[in-house]
Amino acid sequence: MTAITNLLAFFALGVTLVLVWRQSWRGRVHLFVVQSILLGVLAAAVGGLARRPALVLVAAIFLLVKTWLIPRVLMRMAAGAPLRPVRPGRSSGIPVLVAGGLVVIAYVIMLPISTLPAAALPTHGAMPLAFAMALIGLFICVTGRDALGQVTGFLVFENAIFALGVVATYGMPGLVEAGVFLEVLVVVLLMEGVVVQMRREHDSLDVDRLQELRG
Amino acid sequence: MIVLMLVIPVTAAGVLALARGRVATAVHALATLLMLTSGLTVAARALRGVEATAFGGVLRVDALSGWMIGVIVLVAGLAAAEAPRYAHGSGQRMFYALFHLMVFTMLLAVSTDDVGVMWVAVEGTTLASVFLVNFERSRASLEAAYKYLLICSVGIAIAFVGTVLIYYAEAVRQQGVVEHAAQGLRWTTLLALAPALSPRVLQPAFVFLVIGYGTKAGLAPMHTWLPDAHSEAPAPVSALMSGVLLSVGAYAILRFKPIVDAAAGPLFAARILIVLGVLSLAVAAAFLWNPGNYKRMLAYSSVEHIGLVGLGLGFGGVLGVSGALLHVANHGLAKSVVFLLAGRIRAVYGTVELSGVQGLLRALPVTGRGFLLGMLALMGLPPFGLFTSEVMIFAAGFGAGHVWASAAGLVLLVIAFGGLLRAAHAMLFGPPPHVAPTASGLSAVPMAAALAALVLIGLAWPPGLAAALELATRAIVR
Repeated sequence: MTAITNLLAFFALGVTLVLVWRQSWRGRVHLFVVQSILLGVLAAAVGGLARRPALVLVAAIFLLVKTWLIPRVLMRMAAGAPLRPVRPGRSSGIPVLVAGGLVVIAYVIMLPISTLPAAALPTHGAMPLAFAMALIGLFICVTGRDALGQVTGFLVFENAIFALGVVATYGMPGLVEAGVFLEVLVVVLLMEGVVVQMRREHDSLDVDRLQELRG
Repeated sequence: MIVLMLVIPVTAAGVLALARGRVATAVHALATLLMLTSGLTVAARALRGVEATAFGGVLRVDALSGWMIGVIVLVAGLAAAEAPRYAHGSGQRMFYALFHLMVFTMLLAVSTDDVGVMWVAVEGTTLASVFLVNFERSRASLEAAYKYLLICSVGIAIAFVGTVLIYYAEAVRQQGVVEHAAQGLRWTTLLALAPALSPRVLQPAFVFLVIGYGTKAGLAPMHTWLPDAHSEAPAPVSALMSGVLLSVGAYAILRFKPIVDAAAGPLFAARILIVLGVLSLAVAAAFLWNPGNYKRMLAYSSVEHIGLVGLGLGFGGVLGVSGALLHVANHGLAKSVVFLLAGRIRAVYGTVELSGVQGLLRALPVTGRGFLLGMLALMGLPPFGLFTSEVMIFAAGFGAGHVWASAAGLVLLVIAFGGLLRAAHAMLFGPPPHVAPTASGLSAVPMAAALAALVLIGLAWPPGLAAALELATRAIVR
């Protein structure tokens, strides 16, 4: 189990780093789908190997929501936006460098926790990897220049936190998992509403236009 | 009875999503009355020391929950009385339905014994209220709703990391047996196990929980969504958000604190809360000297008061925690009254700019006087209850040896006081404009009652209050 969770989490982290580098909106959505598939398989693997049928079910719902439902909404959101880079004319070298630094920070924070002597969980090796993904997602969200970029960051963050829950606890209680899905869905749908209204009022998704409230 | 208390607002939200016109207002009034009756009954029983449970212990109301339920239903009752002024036209169904849904999520958050369910409920408060923030559908309210949704969703996700780590700590204690994950983790279980949990896991867990729930509570520096959302939302929603939603976030932190104290020593959590508390006071005091917009001014005053609550929790001890709890109740009543009156002022003057409002006392005698009294209460002047709770908090601080933090807090409090006083003076006095006073008199009765209750808490505690507060505090401080 250790090998497979580490491998899947490692690949997912790699995909997340590529996502930081990619600038086209469509490419980012595709990478988000790839990351979701890897993490969904991770959850299913943990569920299967630890004999937790509930977690396998959660993994199935996760795959349905993250690889089909949410990308559909994202594409609908992007439909009106021009297919331009997220940040035109800026190299993505520095963000990738920062993301690399965040991986180190994640290890600094999580390693002492995940390698506690008493921690006999075979999945503990994946905890810093999942946490690194969470930090990178947060980074994408915070530095996103438009609403779409921020939503992508939030989704990557949310995915990583789901993965952290899986490797640290073998799945939270059903109600909590349902709450997580509900949150992501509502956030994305609300965000779509906001994006539509924003486009109507500002004719752009640039959050720099949102400057009326100061102080 | 707990189940009934929770079923009422959900049912009301369902019915109100369909009803319209006068029927909707009547249903809203009925639902509010039922909510008040059931909530106060549950709270009264819990505050006499009778714990109630339901659904195999998932719902559990102890004295602390009872205290919070009492505050929530009272503030929700005040806000509900003003709601019909705002809920009309096409948005009426959405307004009433989401209003009751928001009350439901807050009540659920404080009456569950399950760490995970509480997380879901606190998350639900954001989802229920974000549409209400954008109720006016203006550019500014859209911006506020977007910020609110994004920042609070990220915050609540960070709180999820903390919750996961608490589960992990339990798994570590069990040497890798993750049995609690399937059935949920209870406060009662956690409190009993706390001394055996690993401090190396619980310390970062608490940091994540404080950042996450602190975002909801509006503690600086995670408060950035708060002034926008509170100033753009319709007045009853601002009252609910400022009066109790922030306190629900603080409640979540409060529930985790004794667990971390038992596992990692009392100073760890205390230091974090004291630093955030002083920082919140500083941010608020700096802004209150140049507010510009009176609803934003009230929002920053909420940051100030939540900072005081954070200080009280950080100073700890029976005095500190009971001071913080009393402050939650006092602030809830005072701030909701002032926000509701600010909504009326805005309706008459047509602006939220401070420069556009003057001569309030002569133009709107009833509203103006209420606003004056509410502002005096928020400034922490005697004879209002906020003075009492602030004295308790700072007495606890000096008593526990946090001299510097207490002194800094007091100085910042005085600065904030000056700022509020200046703004209130500019609004209340001066030449009145030619405006026709709208409805007042009877509709001001609930707010007058709230102010009277504040005076009562400030002068002489009604019988039973001291015992109730003591019981609620004992749920946290052993």
